[in-house]
Order: sequence, then structure tokens, then C-alpha cells
Amino acid sequence: MLEFGYGGRILRADLTKRKFQIDPLDASWIKSVIGGRAANSKRLFEELNADCDPSGPENILIFGVGPLTGSLLTASAYYTVTAKSPLTGILGDSAAGGQFAAEMKLTGFDQIIITGKSDKLLYLLVTNSGVEFVECPEYKGRKIIETTNAIRREQGDSSIQVAAIGPAGENVVSFASIVSSGNRVNGRTGMGAVMGSKNLKALAVRGSRPVMLAEPLAFLSENQKIDQEILNHPEYKKRYQLGTTMLMKDLNNIGILPTRHFQEGICDYVDEISGQKLASSFKVKNKSCFNCNVHCSRYYLADNLEAEGPEFETLCGFTSRVGNQSLPFALEMNAYLNQMGMDSISASEVIGWIMECQEKGLIHPDDLDGLSITWGEKEKIRQVVDMIAFRQGIGNELAEGTKRFAERFGEDARKLVMHVKGLDIICGDPRGIKGYGLTYAIASRGADHLRAEPYFELTNRKEEARKRFGKEKAADRLAEEGKAALVSYSEKIALLTDSLTMCKNIGLCMDILNFERASSLLKAGTGFDYSPEYLEEILEDAIHLDHQINRRLGMSKKDDTLPERFQKEPLTRGPTKGSTVNIQKMVDEYYKIHKWEE
Amino acid sequence: MIHVDLSKCTGCRKCEVACAFFHTGKVSNRLARIKVLNLYERGIDGPVVCIQCKERYCLNCPEDALTLGSRGQVIVSPTVCTLCGACEKACPIGAIEIFDGIVYVCDLCGGAPKCVAACTEGAITYVREAGKRASLAEIKKSTKKMNPSQRRGYYLEWQGTALREKWSRKHA
Repeated sequence: MLEFGYGGRILRADLTKRKFQIDPLDASWIKSVIGGRAANSKRLFEELNADCDPSGPENILIFGVGPLTGSLLTASAYYTVTAKSPLTGILGDSAAGGQFAAEMKLTGFDQIIITGKSDKLLYLLVTNSGVEFVECPEYKGRKIIETTNAIRREQGDSSIQVAAIGPAGENVVSFASIVSSGNRVNGRTGMGAVMGSKNLKALAVRGSRPVMLAEPLAFLSENQKIDQEILNHPEYKKRYQLGTTMLMKDLNNIGILPTRHFQEGICDYVDEISGQKLASSFKVKNKSCFNCNVHCSRYYLADNLEAEGPEFETLCGFTSRVGNQSLPFALEMNAYLNQMGMDSISASEVIGWIMECQEKGLIHPDDLDGLSITWGEKEKIRQVVDMIAFRQGIGNELAEGTKRFAERFGEDARKLVMHVKGLDIICGDPRGIKGYGLTYAIASRGADHLRAEPYFELTNRKEEARKRFGKEKAADRLAEEGKAALVSYSEKIALLTDSLTMCKNIGLCMDILNFERASSLLKAGTGFDYSPEYLEEILEDAIHLDHQINRRLGMSKKDDTLPERFQKEPLTRGPTKGSTVNIQKMVDEYYKIHKWEE
Repeated sequence: MIHVDLSKCTGCRKCEVACAFFHTGKVSNRLARIKVLNLYERGIDGPVVCIQCKERYCLNCPEDALTLGSRGQVIVSPTVCTLCGACEKACPIGAIEIFDGIVYVCDLCGGAPKCVAACTEGAITYVREAGKRASLAEIKKSTKKMNPSQRRGYYLEWQGTALREKWSRKHA
């Protein structure tokens, strides 16, 4: 029996038959994966037909929360959506904060598993007692907040939380996102496309089963320590003021801010597009996810538009990465992409890649229906994004993702696609952050920093590095030494935060979570006897399981690599000048630590 | 009474979590006497809680189960209350609500409100002397046909209007 922490039930909804089923959550099954992302992966591993079409009815779409989601735990605001990715064809998942996860938790379902395909556009209303299948053909083409408000009005409840897709998801753009809480995005790997392919416009949740803790007072006391550590943290003030947008200047200062599609690592106009500029000129207030005291997000007003965000990835993606100098334009794109439901990282990669290829004469406008675009051309960027969202003209093909689109071109153009395993690389040049480079290469959903977030390598804590990873160099961002050990550790903490489910900025970057603390939180939260050693062991198993899923989906060690540019072309100026990544060496060491075969 | 400064609220719901936890040992917005709403299209977040209005609509209880405490808080007698729902229907802003056989309304935690202590932003303060009490007569007319959740939404949106005007002026 799962009395504490967990909701203790899973919900299965079949969209083809419009039937649902409530199953008890098996205690020993969930104990071995904790919850959240790790539990979603295990479910996918057990139930997915690996050969299925990711955009077909057979694909399994899983919404998952963890044992401490929506609880007293600070920043326990995340949920993970998992399926086979239509963008990459391998394991796909994406997490988001905001308010959705806490409300989903109150329905008493730890996982909502959606299969089949509806013949008409519909949304699911999930409450304690199950699912209502609500047809909504009139919602077609609606943006995210419009959809959220319509459902709240229709159901007469201002506290319903909604995870919806926009036009991009409806049109099965392979990097379409799911958006909840207005602007909180499950951006990566095209989970919105999976929803769209199932004719599922939204998942609305409203529950009333409270989150119970096994030992409330012990939990409270541990959480009070966490709150104190957060408030006293040296980065607290900066994170409070700027959130992830602090990285614009921070990355530029060390010469790794992707500029003109990773051709440079320093952006000369960074002050015009920085988080600081955003805060002083456009921000009207801080915004927060559920139960967090960092309040790192922001609400802004700019030229006739307003929205929450942007996070660093969108800000960098639509400024320096595509050579745009206008901050208001990036704010416009943030609002637009969030409301259309499209991943800003993949969108900015496809645009940046075309820009570079056209600049180098590798792609002719005739190859793109006459499209000719260069750095910072705002009107053209708008046009391309719009064509992708509605799959119009060349947008129909760009919607398949940069890597797939590039296949028709020569090798010179293909190798300029900044991706790993088909997933477009985030904004952080690995030539100056080698641990991140390794993370992009080995991450089980393709180029991704969040799988390990080895932020430690940026903290310069040499003594701590020797203690934890055996090598001082683990704290040196330019070194390759010690990085396999660092990544193998922090990928476990990353998975732990995703499984509890906590925010990674706090759990990992601010170094709040470790096995000992997680053990006491989980004991007090669930009543299960999770020792630190046991936790480490099951997290390793879970990482191995992700690896196996991808092996089943056709990946091999040769896919654990980085684009040639990062291995061969050094950056030409700034503090990362001259550096390239010897990725093979780090991947070999990483495999050795995991005892994985070739 | 509890005073809310919307301009400082980030929508984190720490107040709501603290309220539910310290009253019941559990977390759920249904168990909280202060309920936070997030109005995504307007950027407004804020808690709705009993404002000790001038009219005190809820006191018109057919069973006389509701009385006022020394701090102006509403006290519900669980032995007299029949859960008829009259108070819930009467409150124009959805600040008193029945859930699972219990009437939830702010009790000011005996004078040291947990929601105030939980707020890191200074968005919620405890005012001992309420002074001139706000009238909800106008709101009452507009929210007549609504349920408590809709009333909270309406009230927050109405409150948010002034804040949004301030933002627009600043960014004009």
C-alpha cells in the first residue's frame, strides 16, 4: 500500500476507444525507480513497441510526477512527459515547472498513460475519479493561454491547470512543445507532436487528494534547512534577479555564448540582449513555480505584448545564435513560440543553420522555395517560424527537424547541423565547458545539458573536486580530465531531481540535493527505507535502462559524439580561444565507469 | 486581517502550502484557507483570503454557527454548523468554502499567520488594526451567479486591473 508521498494510482486513457482504467501503483515497482522521469522511462521500456511510428496511435504518452511533487518540498514543481520522440526516433522526454505538476498530483495519479488516437480533436479532464473525454473541434488553431482559459471557463473552475498544444502541435511539427501554466514549456523532443498526432489538444487536471507525508515534522525540519541554504546561497540574489538569463553575460564572459550559429563564442552586443537589460527595461515582476522561494522567472511587457520568460535558451536562441541584436524581438519570439507551442532551441537551430549554410553558399535559395535569410533578419525569422508552425511551403519540410531536413544536402551542409542523435544542441558552446560537451554526447534524449548539468565545472571548487571526483581538474571547465567522473555523478543527481521531482537549478546547480538529503526526504515523505547507497544503486540502474531503451531504438556508441565543429575548429578569440573537445576520450572513460560494452 | 500586495506576488503558493500544512499536516489547495490563483493571460498571481469586509455577508448564517473573534476573524462552530452552505454562497470573493465536511476560512492562526511567515516577498502582511473596512457590495453584484472558484478568479482579476495600469504607465 502506498499511503504516503505517492498518489498510489495510475491512470490509463485510450483515446481510440475513449475508455479509461485506474490501476493501483505497484509499491515495489515504483520503489525501484522513485518516480518522475525514471518511472516514465521504465514504463516506456516495458510497454512501448519499439518499432512503432512515434506519430502513430501506438506511441505511448506518459505524464509523470514523483513522490514529493506538490508536497511541502521546496520547488517540487516538475512533471515529465515521456514518449518515443517524433524528432529523434529515440527516447523522448521533457520536463516543465509551473503549477501543473502540483495539481496533477492532487488527482492521485502518479502517472497518466495515454494511448491510441482520437478521431476528433479533444481534451482530457482528469479528476480524482478518472477522465472525461471532451470533444473540442472549435479549439483547433487556438493558442495555449486561449485554450487554458476556454477550459477554465467551460468547467467553471479558475484553478484548473492545463497542459496544451498550440498550432505547431496540432500540425505535428516534430519539435512541437507542450505548454502549461501559460508559459512553462515541455520543449524538447517533440512531445507536443505526439499529443497532436493523437488529436489530443490538452490535458486538464483538477484534484483534491491531498499530499500526505509519512513523517510531516521530520520532513518540515529537513525542508527548513533546504530553505535556509537556498536563501543563504551565494548565487541566490543573482538567480532571483535574473534567473537563467544571467547566463547571457556569464557565458559571454568565458567566451562560449553561441553567436552566429556557434561560429563565435563572444557576442559584441551582449549588453543589449542580456538578462540585466531585460530586467531593467522590460520586467514588471518576478514569477515563480509551485512552492519555490527563488522566484527566478519574470513577467515582462514590451511593444504591445506581454508574457512570462524568456528562459536563457530562448533568449540566446533568438538573439546571438541567429545574429539578432534586438531584445524586444527576442521577447516577441518567446511569447510567440510559447503560444504556438514550438521548442525554441530546435527552432533557432534550424534558422541559424540555414543562415550559416547560405552565408557559405552551401544552400541556394532555390533549395528553399526561394527563401534567402541572413543574420538578424527579423521579418524573415518571423516568416520561417510561422511557416514551420503551419507546415506551409518549405516550412512543411523544416518541421521534420534540422537533421532530417539536412539529409538532402551535401556533407558540408550536413555536418554544420548542431545536433546529437537528431536533437538540436542547446546554447552553450562545449569547447569551453567540456563536462557539458560530454553530457550532450551521452544524454539519452540527444544533445542535452539537463541530463547531467555538470554546473560544478564552472564553480572552480578545486578542493571539493579532488574530494568528490579524485581530480582537481574536474572543476576546470577547459579540462577533459575528471569530467567522466563528474558527469557520472551529476547525471545521478539530475535524475534524482527529475524523479523527486524538484527544480534542477536548485537541486543541482545550487548543489542542494545529494544522496543523503534525498534519503531523509524520501524516508520522511514516503515511509520507504531509502538509504543513500540504495538510491545511488537504483539511479544507476535507471540510467542503464535509458541506455537499453536507446539500444533497442537503434543507437550505438558511435552516436555518443559531438558535431565535428566542436572537435576540430577552435574558437578564435576570448577566454576559450584555441580550445576543442576530445570527445572520444571522455566518452571512453564514461563507458568504462558504467561498465558498458562498445 | 491579512493584507495582500499583488505587485509583489510571484504566484509561488508558499502561503497556500503553509496554510494547509500547518492546519492539517497535508498539502492541497482545497485544505488551504488562503488560495492562490494564476491568471496567465494577465500576468497576475495572487492569494484570495478573507478580507474581513465591511458587510460580513457570511455571518448571515441560518444556524448562527458563525461568530467573530477578537481579531475580526470568522469562527465557525463545528458543532452548530450543519454544512448548509449559506456562508459559502454569501461570500462574494470565494474566501469561505466547504470541502469534505469542513468549512475553510482564514482563522489568522491565533494571531501569527503562517502564510505571512512563509512569504519571502513581503506580499502578505498581517494588519492588527484593520481600520476602515473595504466594502464588497459592488463585487457581490457581479459574482452573484458564480461558484467560489469563479468568484476568486473574478476578484483577483478585478484587483489586478489597477496593477496592470501601473505597469502600463511605467512602460509607456
